[in-house]
Order: sequence, then C-alpha cells, then structure tokens
Amino acid sequence: MGDAALLERMRAHVGSRGKGQPARDPVNQAMIRHWCDAMHDANPNYTLPDVADKSVHGEVVAPPAMLNAWTMIGLVDRAAYSDDSGPMSTVLRELDAAGYTSVVATNSEHEYERYLKLGDHISGTTEMIEVSEEKQTALGIGHFVTTRTEYHDQSGDLVGSMLFRILKFRPGTGRFPVSEEGGDPAPPMRRPRPGISQDTQFFWDGLREGELRIQQCTECEALHHPPMVRCAKCGSYDLGHRVASGHGELYSHVEVHYPQIPMFDYPLTVGVVELEEGTRLISNVVDIDSDHIEVGMPLEVAFLEDGDLTIPVFRPARPPRRETTLRFDEVEVGMELGPCPIPITPTLIVSTALASRDYQDVHHDRDLAKKRGSPDIFMNILTSGGLCARYVTDWAGSNALMRNIKIRLGAPNYPGDCMTMYGSVKSAEVRDGAGIVVVEVRGTNRLGDHAVGTIELELPTGSGA
Amino acid sequence: MTMKFAGKTAISGIGATEFSKDSGRSTLRLAVEACDAAIQDAGLEPDDIDAIVTFTVDVNHEIDVARNLGIKELKHFSRIHHSGGAACGTIHQAAMAVDSGAAKNVLVYRAFNERSQDRFGIGVQGRAPGPDPIDVDFGWSSPFGLLTPASWVAMFATRYMHEYGATSEDFGRVSVADRRHAAKNPKAFFYEKPITLEEHQQSRWIVKPLHLLDCCQESDGAQALVVTSLERARDARHKPAVIASAAQGSSEDQQMMKSYYRDEITSIPEMGLCARQLFEDTGLSADDIDAAVLYDHFTPLVLPQLEEFGFCKRGEARDFIADGNIEIGGRLPVNTNGGQLGEAYIHGMNGIAEAVRLIRGDSVNQPETIENVLATAGTAVPTSALLLSQDR
Repeated sequence: MGDAALLERMRAHVGSRGKGQPARDPVNQAMIRHWCDAMHDANPNYTLPDVADKSVHGEVVAPPAMLNAWTMIGLVDRAAYSDDSGPMSTVLRELDAAGYTSVVATNSEHEYERYLKLGDHISGTTEMIEVSEEKQTALGIGHFVTTRTEYHDQSGDLVGSMLFRILKFRPGTGRFPVSEEGGDPAPPMRRPRPGISQDTQFFWDGLREGELRIQQCTECEALHHPPMVRCAKCGSYDLGHRVASGHGELYSHVEVHYPQIPMFDYPLTVGVVELEEGTRLISNVVDIDSDHIEVGMPLEVAFLEDGDLTIPVFRPARPPRRETTLRFDEVEVGMELGPCPIPITPTLIVSTALASRDYQDVHHDRDLAKKRGSPDIFMNILTSGGLCARYVTDWAGSNALMRNIKIRLGAPNYPGDCMTMYGSVKSAEVRDGAGIVVVEVRGTNRLGDHAVGTIELELPTGSGA
Repeated sequence: MTMKFAGKTAISGIGATEFSKDSGRSTLRLAVEACDAAIQDAGLEPDDIDAIVTFTVDVNHEIDVARNLGIKELKHFSRIHHSGGAACGTIHQAAMAVDSGAAKNVLVYRAFNERSQDRFGIGVQGRAPGPDPIDVDFGWSSPFGLLTPASWVAMFATRYMHEYGATSEDFGRVSVADRRHAAKNPKAFFYEKPITLEEHQQSRWIVKPLHLLDCCQESDGAQALVVTSLERARDARHKPAVIASAAQGSSEDQQMMKSYYRDEITSIPEMGLCARQLFEDTGLSADDIDAAVLYDHFTPLVLPQLEEFGFCKRGEARDFIADGNIEIGGRLPVNTNGGQLGEAYIHGMNGIAEAVRLIRGDSVNQPETIENVLATAGTAVPTSALLLSQDR
C-alpha cells in the first residue's frame, strides 16, 4: 500500500502552517466582472453599483465563491510569488517526485465571515490537515491531501476559511488510460434518418444552421407543423418559415424502456414540446433526471449532431433569476429549486478557470490533460462552487447572504456534457435572530454526480426585504 | 336514416383460426382457413361469395384467397386503409356493396403472423428514409426513438393522466376486466389466466406510463366474416347480426398514431365522428347499447372511447370503469371475449366476431339481455365503428 516512508515524511507536516499568501491584487471590479461573465452570474450586487448601493451590502461586493481565487497565483513562476517552503508546497513536491503528478480537487468547504468589498486586500494562511494513505480511485492511484486555509483582510480580521482536499494521483492508473495517438473509435450507431421531401427540407436544413424553423404561410402568417404543402387556413401555396425562439413547454412525454435499439440510451424520454409560438413537435427531453420531468415544464432547444444530421432536442430551461429576495417565511423544508442545466462547453471550462486564476493545464490544454490521464480538459473546483452558488442565489435572490458552501466532486465535467443542477431545502431555522436555510445541491452530468453539497444562506426574516 | 344499408344488411357468418404465438403456417393458409370456416358458418358454399373486402395492410391477395377457396368470380374487391382502424370499415364497405347491388355475399378477412413473422412492436427503425409522405411522416418521430405503437399511444396516455388525474391503475382496470373475461374463453391466449391489479402494477415498463399488461399480446391468426343482405341472412344457419349502422371517421389534423398537434389530445374526435354517425343513423344512444367490444391494443385509449360514445362524461371514464360498469353484469359489459389484451390481437376483427356472438347469444360471457352491441376499430388512427342489433 504505497511508500510508508513517503507517507511518514508527508504526514510530518500535518498541523504545520505556511506563511500568509497575500493576494496579488486587492478585490477589484475587473476580476469580479470577469468571473460573473464566465459564470453567467447576473447578480447585480457584484457588478452594478446603483443596485448594490441599495442592497443589503450597501456597496458592490465580490461573489463569495471567489474567496480562494483572490490568492491564486496566476500564470507566473510559483516560486517567485508563493510560499514555497510551506507544508502544502512541500507535500506536493514529494508527491510529484514520487510520480503522483496529476491533480484533481475533490472537496471544497468555504465558510464566509463577511462578503469582500472592493479594495479589500486579503491574505491566506494554509495549514496541513491530513494526508491519506495511498488509495485506488476511479481517476487513479494516489493520496488525498487536505488543507485548511484562513483568509484575513488588511486589518487582520478573519473574512473566511476553506477546507480543501485534492487527489494527487499517478496518471494512467485509473479508469481512463493515457490516450495513444491514432485509432479513432468505431463510429457510433446513427439514429433513424427522417424521410425528407421538398416540403420539409427547410426544417432539416435549418437545424444544421442552428435554427429551429416553423413553417409559416407567407400570405396569412399561420404557422404549421408538421409542414403542409398548402396553407389550410388561407389556401396559399406560398409557404416560408420563421425561426422559433427555441423556448417552449412540455406538452406530454413518455419513457421508452422496450424494445431497446443500439442508437439510443434507455430509458429514453420522448416528449411533445409546445413551442411558445404555438406549434408542437416531437423531440427528446435530455439532461434531466426522469423523475423531474413533468407536463408543463419549461424547455429550451439544443442541437444534437448525429453524423450528417442535426436533431433538435430539449433540455429544461434555466430557471429565471429571482428579482426580489426570498423571505425566510416563504421557505419550507423539502422545497425544490427546479432543475437548471449548464451546458459544459470548452469556453465555459476555460473562461471560468482563468476567471478564477486557475492555470492548471488540465483546465485549458487538452493535450496535456490527456497526458495526465484525463480524456479531455475538465472544469475546476472553483467553478463548480461558483455555479452551485449561482444556482442557489438565482433561486433565493441577490440579497440572500451566503454563509458557507460545502461541495464534494465526483464525475468530472468534460466538454460536450451538460451538468444539470438540482436543489432542495434541507433545513430552515431561526438562529440568533437570523433565518438560516440550508440547501442541498447536486450537479449531475452524463457520467454521474459532478458536485454534491450544501449551501447555507441567511434570508431576510421581516417583511422589509 | 342517413345510410341506406343500415338495418338492411347483416353479418351471417364468422370463422377464425386458432390464435397463437406461432401458427406454423403461412398467412395465406390462415386467411383461407378462416374464410372457409366463415362461409360454412354462414351456411354458404364458396361459390356463393362474389366479393371480398380486407385491410390495405393485409398481405394476402383477394385473388389467392378466392382461388384457394374455389370462388370463381369476384364482382367487388376493395381494401380499407389505416391498419386496425379498418376493422369495422370492412363491414361498412361490405354492407355498402351489398346494399348497392354490387355484391350478394361479401367475404371479409384479416390474417397475419403478427407474432411469429411481422411484429409491429419491434418498431419502425428499419424503414429506409425516402421522400414519400409516409416516411416524411415517420421523420417527425423516428429520429427521436418514438418507434413503436406502444410509444405512440403512451404519449396520449400521459396527457390524459395530466388533464384528468387518471392513473396507471385506472388503465390497469381495463386489463384486469379483459383478463377476467378471457379466463373463461377457451380460444383466448389467457384462458384461465386472470390477473390482479397488483400484478398489472408490478409488470415491467414497456413505455412509461404503459406497463407490459397495458399492451395486447401480439398474435398469429385470422378472422373472417360474411356480410350479406338481411333477407338472405335470415336463411342462414344462425340468426342474423343486423348491421344497424357502420361508420368510418377521420377528423381535423388527423395523423397516423400521432395526432399530437390538435388543440387537445385527450379525446378521440374521429371516434366521436363515428359515434355521431351511428347514433344519427339508428336513432339510438349510449343508453340503448347493452355491450361493447372496444378496441384495446393498449388500455389507455379505451377510456376516451367510453367518453366519445357518451357512456360517461369527459374525464370520467376512470370512475365508470372503477364502478364496475364494464364487467359482466355491469351496465356495459366490455370485451366479453377478453379483448385484444386477453383473447388475441387480430386487428379488431376478432372483436367484431365477438359482437356477432353476443347478438347470437353464444358468447362465453353472455349477458342476459342483448339488443344492441357496439364494436370499435383501432384508435389513434382514422377509424371505424359498428353497431349490431337483433333482427326485430
């Protein structure tokens, strides 16, 4: 079970602390804006002074999930800027030297004492908490390393803390072998092809261009689906189309279990979607657990490439951000937050990694990610936390105060996947006069649960909010 | 009376093969055996037959059936489209042919090895895409994996459940009633094999919300009938099953199995159209109907059929069923042969034969008094319905 001497050397650092790591820049609007853009977080308290001045904070604040982004080193020589003699750096060097060169974060628990404001200059001090024995994980053979970092402001006051756990592992020892060049996998089975006539060609052509088209009579503007050759409303043969917004709701649905054919994943959800323009079409409902599918749920189109064919599918629509802040007395234990899909694009992974100043190559360089035993680049943990926070504050409203975020990561978020967030209220109680709500969150992708955790919020108790 | 043939024509003979999962014979052999039996049942000789009507989808040619039976001349032959929706439409067509004078004795049949050879339930994924309307139509559903009749019907079922609060158990009660009736029918697949609602609930999913026991058994077999004038039928071996009326129906924005684009999809307007014609034609109403054989390839669409014919109000079929009305001894015994869920799936034609037996008084589950019997054809497609009455 690994190298006992190595483990002993590493564990000798448990309980020791490094020097304070000051942030390279004070809390500033540019980094906040970059973070909010990358995360698609529109909470106005982070970027709009006019709104923030009237908020519970009285001024612009940083998204709390950015806590450790401020003290990330960035794309510079680590030795020049970081505490290279601290316990964390020492343990990581030991692991690198022993061949555990790949890294993935597995747990992050933020506790917030207060929201950071523009100009705050924070510093982080890290303590080694634990080094695990060598373990075989899905990603590979490695050691879990747990640290705790305390963040203090320019006055020396504690503003927050983070319990952080990473896995340092040997590349190529997990579920995904280090990829070799060449040898494309067998082409996947294709879905049944549609019969296409002169009357319906426009529909399939549109999909290839990222448009969901609805036939429209040029004379009377009536919409038809499936397409017609003559407008039954006015008699015109002059039929064009309009591009649908892609928004609609689920009119009916089924879950196919039998028979199963190779080109589909089962159980397979097929639905009839009523578009906001009024026509309906048959499609698949994707990126949502079947027990969350219900008639009437809002959906939005996505385009699925299947060889030379593009197929419209629908995923749950992102729930709208709440404009007012939820009051404590409006919350009940068991309340559901509603599913929220987050398409995992390379842009999202890379832009959020850089917005959190995380320049680990596995988050932006596919070739190096593969060398380190990963099939592709994957999302960094700060982003997972940031997206969980966005999901919960979009539900609760911008003046909900986040007290902590505790997440555990599982299946990585790779490009091309979609992570769907689910949440429910686990507890709601008044503590020292404050309305404290704990929300359980879960972000699930096609491989399994990506992030599971809890977020503690303080919600206004009076009617004055 | 709007239809000239109404009350002037009758079904004089019925005949069928055994119903099985593997007939071991060609479909043509099944067709000829069933026709042979129907002609004998009518007390006729093959050469008395001068017309044939069958389904468009039947693979057995009329001329081959005629040749094997020794029918020398056919003066009328026609086919009815839209799969199981054709069932009562064949009787409608035959009655019109007789009434018009085009034919005297019309042979009607449906024969297939739908279990051992051509299972509908395996899906349409193998169709080569082309520009013909039928494949353009499949293009709106097949790429999404909506490939089987069960899946097409299940889509209506979910919406019906949503709008009316019906549950899987409400569908299950149809299956339980059918199986209870089939248990007494020696010809049925499920002879002596009744089920409980709990067994229905525990049967595996086929296409949620449809359990296995919401779906009929795919079957091999053939059913034939003879349609003739009421006068000639009075001379037959059995008492006539008078064709009080028969009708076809296709409604606005009709699609094959997937009429999902209408304002609402919880009713069956094409069946309502049939109901309206039958009642206008005969002056009868739901109150006058003593038993019904309702098309039950899948349980959910039995409910709106009850509503279309006015046996209960919209959305209340589940209460009508739960209150025992469709049982033997109930207000409206339904599918006394076991239906397609219990007896066999012969595309609705075995149901018409059961309607004839109910008029004759020799159903295995014969209710006491039968004046008028309703039979219906395939749902979710352009369809048809038939009202048979006693000869008075």
